[in-house]
Amino acid sequence: MGLRIGVDIGGSFTDFAVLDDATGVLESLKVFSRPDSPGSEVITGMETLSRRYGIDPAEVVHFTHGTTVGVNAVVQRRGIRLGLITNRHFEDVLNIARLKTPDMYHLMSVRPAPLIDRHCTFGIDGRLNAQGEEIAPLDESGIAETIKGLERTGCEGVVISLLHAYRNPVHEHRVRDLIEAAMPGFFVSCASDVWPTIREYERTVTAVIGGYVQPRVSHYLGSLQKALIETGVTAPLQVTKSNGGIMSAERGKTDCVQMILSGTASGVIGAAWMARLCGIDNVMSLDIGGTTADVALIVGGAPRYATGEYIGDYQIHIPSVSVTSIGDGGGSIASVDTLGVLKVGPESAGSTPGPVCYGRGGTAPTITDAFAVMGILGQSPLGYDTVNLDIAASRRAVGQLAETLGQPVEATAEAIVNVAISGMYAGISRLVSRFGIDPRQFSLMPFGGAGPMLACYLARTLHMQTIAVPTTPGVLSALGGLIADTRNDFVRITWYDLTQATLERLDQDRAALEREARDWIVEEAGDAAPELTLSAEMRYKGQSFEIETPLTVEDVRHGKLSALRDAFHREHERLYHYRDEGADIQVVSLRLIATVPTPKPTLKTIETAREPARPCDHVQAWMDGAHRRVALYRRSDLRSGHRFEGPAIVAQDDTTTSVLPGFSVSVDGWGNLHLINNAVTNGENRDGL
Amino acid sequence: MAFDNTVVQIFANYCVAAAESMAYTLVRTAHSTFIKETEDFSCALITPEGLAFASPRTLGATWYIGLDYGPVLSRIEDYRPGDIAMTNDPYSGSVATHTPDIVMWKPVFYQGMLICFVGGHIHNTDMGGAVPASLSRTLTEIEQEGIRFPPVKIVREGVLDESLLDIMAANVRVPKQNRGDLMAQIAMLHNGEKRVLEIIERFGTADFCTGMDALLDYAERQARQVIATVPDGDYFFAEYADEDSVAGKPMRLALNLQIRGEEAILDYTGSDPQLASSLNMPTGGMVRHALALVGYHYVLYTLQDDILLNAGLDRPVRCVLPEGSVVNAVAPAAVGMRSLTCKLTHVLTFGAFSRAIPERLPACAAAGLAIMSVKTMDSDGRTLMASLGPVGGGAGGMPFGDGSDGSGANVAFLRNTPVEINEAEVPILMHRYCLVPDSGGPGRYRGGLGLCMEFQVFSPGTMVTARNRDRTHFASWGILGGQAGATARFTRNPEADHAEALGNTDIVHCQPGDVIRLVGCGAGGYGDPLDRLSEEVLRDVRCGYVSPERARTDYGVVLDHDRVSEEKTQALRRSMRDQSRVLPDAPFAYGPYRDAFETRWTRERYAALTDILASLPVAWRFFIKHQLFDGLAARYDKGEVVEGAAVIHELFEQLMKRYPALSPQRDSA
Repeated sequence: MGLRIGVDIGGSFTDFAVLDDATGVLESLKVFSRPDSPGSEVITGMETLSRRYGIDPAEVVHFTHGTTVGVNAVVQRRGIRLGLITNRHFEDVLNIARLKTPDMYHLMSVRPAPLIDRHCTFGIDGRLNAQGEEIAPLDESGIAETIKGLERTGCEGVVISLLHAYRNPVHEHRVRDLIEAAMPGFFVSCASDVWPTIREYERTVTAVIGGYVQPRVSHYLGSLQKALIETGVTAPLQVTKSNGGIMSAERGKTDCVQMILSGTASGVIGAAWMARLCGIDNVMSLDIGGTTADVALIVGGAPRYATGEYIGDYQIHIPSVSVTSIGDGGGSIASVDTLGVLKVGPESAGSTPGPVCYGRGGTAPTITDAFAVMGILGQSPLGYDTVNLDIAASRRAVGQLAETLGQPVEATAEAIVNVAISGMYAGISRLVSRFGIDPRQFSLMPFGGAGPMLACYLARTLHMQTIAVPTTPGVLSALGGLIADTRNDFVRITWYDLTQATLERLDQDRAALEREARDWIVEEAGDAAPELTLSAEMRYKGQSFEIETPLTVEDVRHGKLSALRDAFHREHERLYHYRDEGADIQVVSLRLIATVPTPKPTLKTIETAREPARPCDHVQAWMDGAHRRVALYRRSDLRSGHRFEGPAIVAQDDTTTSVLPGFSVSVDGWGNLHLINNAVTNGENRDGL
Repeated sequence: MAFDNTVVQIFANYCVAAAESMAYTLVRTAHSTFIKETEDFSCALITPEGLAFASPRTLGATWYIGLDYGPVLSRIEDYRPGDIAMTNDPYSGSVATHTPDIVMWKPVFYQGMLICFVGGHIHNTDMGGAVPASLSRTLTEIEQEGIRFPPVKIVREGVLDESLLDIMAANVRVPKQNRGDLMAQIAMLHNGEKRVLEIIERFGTADFCTGMDALLDYAERQARQVIATVPDGDYFFAEYADEDSVAGKPMRLALNLQIRGEEAILDYTGSDPQLASSLNMPTGGMVRHALALVGYHYVLYTLQDDILLNAGLDRPVRCVLPEGSVVNAVAPAAVGMRSLTCKLTHVLTFGAFSRAIPERLPACAAAGLAIMSVKTMDSDGRTLMASLGPVGGGAGGMPFGDGSDGSGANVAFLRNTPVEINEAEVPILMHRYCLVPDSGGPGRYRGGLGLCMEFQVFSPGTMVTARNRDRTHFASWGILGGQAGATARFTRNPEADHAEALGNTDIVHCQPGDVIRLVGCGAGGYGDPLDRLSEEVLRDVRCGYVSPERARTDYGVVLDHDRVSEEKTQALRRSMRDQSRVLPDAPFAYGPYRDAFETRWTRERYAALTDILASLPVAWRFFIKHQLFDGLAARYDKGEVVEGAAVIHELFEQLMKRYPALSPQRDSA
């Protein structure tokens, strides 16, 4: 027993979640991020924590950390100068990418410039075929020329990515050995070691992103480790991963591609855990910050994983908690176009200069300003006393749009919100159509600074019945890191048909993956017994898309052909409503996830209400087209069992929840707010997406 | 909710979301690779009059914005809830534009009232006919291109007409796949209907109906605003495909773009007569046919990228599509490969607009993209077929940067197939998949490079298809001093003594061990290459995109051991500037092949040709065009040509004598 600390460093703020295992008490803290000196905010935060809560660093047994340092290096293109080694005549792999440009209707749309300059790419002779067999030997003598090229172009590291190395890394490893021998200490990464999957562009770009940020992330983690020791924290530093798990900082230093999306992923992990706590199976987590609104789907308590998540302009192809940007953030700017039509975004005031009401130099009206104008924001201080809102300035800015539109300023503010919501609707619609889910079977869990403010509007438009606003929507990511499991993914391309003849091979592949997984777990978690989850990407032969199908280790070990085939038929039928018993089934790849669970805390419950909830005030706010007298509640005044009806505003220092007319609120034992959309409950609007 | 300016964007977002939802339903459930890999499908919400008022922005083919369903909607009498109608006949309403495209539409009823339609098309892999996949430029009549369904109800009040499916099954090569795709298409329409009903419930019937018009009106106002920024004037442009048929003559498309205030006329007069091959576009002469306006939509979007993609964009424009020409073929002309011609209309339209506003548009995209596919055998003797991916070239140099390499502009929606997937799926070995050095048109901003694909096949009876091969001769133009891109080269066994130039061949029968190499063409450059910064030229040389020789001859940049020799560069550039010649059709640079061609086939002579052919019955036009081409070539061979168009009339007089049947026909035409 002891203290567990989770820290999440975002663009504007750094959040701390501190959990006392003995009492189940969860404390949180928000400090400004220090992009100029990453890591120093952690020190500042630790000092404040000791001061405010009397925390003794020596009592900390578990310290996890999520960071955007890797993402920022990619977005700002501040990684190292990397070289790339490919097969000869395939050197343009990064430039060609998958050909499609980002905006297909625009004649001047270009693919993002690769992170590696083409003249730092070197082709070598030697070739494997699709079975991994050598059909042309590696030209070792040519490597010397390549090494000269790496030196001449001033490369600080190199990624080796050869065709079909996912089948057989022998050429990649040989090249690596030759370079390491010739250039001791030079950073070398083999793409097939990063994530050995088929598709050369995807495998290469993933390794390149990892290599590009590696020295920066590694250096950052090293200094953070040192700083923590100085503050007296003896627990080893753990980092959160894109796949929602954690690993040691030591591993993070070499395997940084795994922690690129650490912050966003742990937010979803936090949301999933919180949802389970509240007994909610299907959740749509909604994280709205300054520039974007991001959504993740949690189905049956588990986040949805995918490959191909965006890192700035690039996609990274390792299994990650799937988070999709669906629309504008609180800082997105509203404008009226030359034809007099009101629009919102895509330009954003972000966190600097930020919304007009923040008084930090922003002049363009944002979604946040619209809420200030409507009287929903600004009824209580925001963001840990760091920001005082200038409502009059918001009114002036929105007022200019109102004048152009010939509408009252409050109506204009609400229209801004409605336009933003319709954009989010379109974004979520795309997501649910792609996955074929029904949003009405999901609860919305808003977090981030602006999530709870917009949640009711969005739930209404999607006909979602319930919203769960967690106790501390601002620190869900930090909390997620604190409860995340040690976890890693493993893959092996199989690409053979599922027949009696291949069952032995399938089991050999499974066994090989399992050995890899157990080795990893021993290094990360000692002798803890991992949970192993096996799946395969399968398809009917001739199809051009695969379906991830859960398999049992037992069925593979004992070669139960019909059970394995049936697992795929079932999955296919579930997704496409038919099965083809007569068709050949192809196993494209085998996947294994190894997990060692982190003990989950028991959160302390809050006091039970002894009398009805009492608003601290009543304010005038604009909701649903009219000025209304709206009850204002302080979140810290609410007790377990409290119930009240919308319209209402719930204020707390890291966010504001707007409760629209037609929504009812109840408070659960941990202080989460549950909003019920009465219109849906009463059976109106039956039809959804 | 009244439709004021605060609601337009909201309504648009809901409607586009519905259209995108339809698209995702299709992609998730369809079978054929055309849908999954090349996204050759469309879907839309359609007004009762047949105008598309919302389409997906991120999925599907880019060609069908504003596709007018009007002519087919009216072919069905008495719509009832649950009905779905379909057609794939290019000559029934010009909505399906070749036989593999099955177009379907479904009325949406709310409280017993027909409010709107949802519709869309998908490209089926095969509809029967003379050749697998139903498409070949060798075909000459629509009857060879597979079974055709005139507009007919495939679902009546929710009940599928199995007899129609049986007829289709009896006529196509892989009935199971057609059926699967048809079901996916029906699912897409059901989804669309559901989503539209939801929007109707949200906004109310009256506002929904007002909203449809509001979206069309808004797009129209946007389009008018953009057109108004283009100076008034007549802007003529011509484009050529290398061949109008197998080993044929060049095919010319002409466009006279007339900008008048907020409106425009796209007059295609001067385009070639309809062909005895399948490159014809079946537009029915509709003044706003989607296929004739694709280039216009690209230009609008490029000039203002927040336009709504719907039929309202087309209201300020009108096309003139002469009957019996390649842009308005009459039955029974074959139309299967109309995509080659349609793609040429894109760059044709870009050219016409570039003549008006070269400072706001890029140089010519590479065009001439071929879709490579292979049919071969595995070691067990099983036949395998795979689409290997598109091989073309990049986007034109832009007013502020280089064009994208390898692909871009009007083919930017296509994705490739990874080398590793190709090799895992079919027994071929890729030798090269890379960009083509020195292929981008030189310019202040370089044109995008071509893409090269080279592979070896190993089984007897292997057949390689390169659909829509073009640009072996005619290059993609540069502008404002920018030069044309390099042309394409298609070769069998390029490194062997017996290397064979394949030209624009689109079907190659291979022997085991054959190596096939397609070097895609490059895009045109933008602005004077002598103004390109020498360090940018150096970067291209270091990357291997420009050779040191071409750095010197095209850009006037002299390199010395991986460095720019500034002094020599300045001197060379000075002398090159002194020698620079005036282009025949400034600001365009077409490349040597077209320059030479147009000294023979001048605009004047083309005008004569167009007049003559227009006076002939449709059936004679293609034949006479070829005769006149041969006749003029013979005159040149004998050195007997004089300037001017008289020679064309003279040649035609001779033809009338040679073919007496022509004269009476001509009188009656």
